[in-house]
Amino acid sequence: MHELSMANGIVETVLKEAKKRDASSVVEVRLVVGRFTMLGLEQLRYCYKLLTKNTSLEHSRLRIEREEGRIRCDSCGFEGPIQLKERLEYHLVFPTLECPECRKAVEMVSGRGCYIKSVRLKMSKHSSESYAPNVIL
Amino acid sequence: MDHTTRLVKHGKGEVFDIELEESILKANDDLAAKNRELLGKHGVKAIDIMGSIGSGKTSLIELIVQKLKDRCRVAVFNGDLTTTIDAVRVARHGVEVVQINTGKECHLDANLVAKALDEIDLEELDLILIENVGNLICPGEFRLGADRRLVVISVTEGPYMVLKHPFIFIEADVVVVNKLDLAEAMGVKFEDLQTDVNNVNPKTKVVGTSCRNNLGIDKVIEALQV
Repeated sequence: MHELSMANGIVETVLKEAKKRDASSVVEVRLVVGRFTMLGLEQLRYCYKLLTKNTSLEHSRLRIEREEGRIRCDSCGFEGPIQLKERLEYHLVFPTLECPECRKAVEMVSGRGCYIKSVRLKMSKHSSESYAPNVIL
Repeated sequence: MDHTTRLVKHGKGEVFDIELEESILKANDDLAAKNRELLGKHGVKAIDIMGSIGSGKTSLIELIVQKLKDRCRVAVFNGDLTTTIDAVRVARHGVEVVQINTGKECHLDANLVAKALDEIDLEELDLILIENVGNLICPGEFRLGADRRLVVISVTEGPYMVLKHPFIFIEADVVVVNKLDLAEAMGVKFEDLQTDVNNVNPKTKVVGTSCRNNLGIDKVIEALQV
């Protein structure tokens, strides 16, 4: 159950960014979560909702994209999606670090990250021009 | 200017997007890299020992410490939500012990380990065994800066422990299957668990032990290359 500490990290990062840019509120947070992290999205959303109450993130939308798992084999050079194995008698599909080409062990190169891709802010009516970033609307 | 440059800025009270690319897990990974660097600077190796509750992590550590303490200088970090039960058990063997109490967190993280590293003199050490909180889910996600990661399971948890928790075994350099003295009574085969682990990660070394009978410990030490 580390969704709470992850959600806390997200909220703190966004609050800092919003404050720095003199935003009045946060409209949307776009988060990327690797498929091979142990984060439960349902719990993450729940913790986010709890933690954003009475902050400038309250009522903001949390959009979550998944990052796919990818592997690279140092033995034969294979690069591609992480392979899956099955034990269907247990309704089980699990990832494997076995190379689909040469059967040696591979490195996982993506699918384990969790990061904030972007945030959408509503600017304060009193925000100074000097804070204006160069964004095309 | 012979062409029109159009610059668009946000107005007051308007909405705009900011690219952040701010990693939440990376904060821990960065701290873990710092721990690793600090350990490397002092020539100290560290092992992150993860595993189920009651699988025998502390027993295994006690036996490894007894075997190694005469040939290298060992310290142990014991991670638990609360109590100093494990620290007291390990300290009996005459090695330096730091208890890390997480409060309510179900795993150690790089920050807690950095604090524990502050408590000891790294110049006086060769090896640190870090006992993580008993849990097969969360500890895998949080690297501590250790050289190797070991996962302890035992036959009394039944035959499906690896199948049910494949993710932590992706992270494991070495897996210890403990309580082999009870394997027959439990109807669990070591070889089946070994196959399950290597299906997830072909390079993980799987070692059977019976900590109660002090069996298999040398093989664990060999697999850890310490």
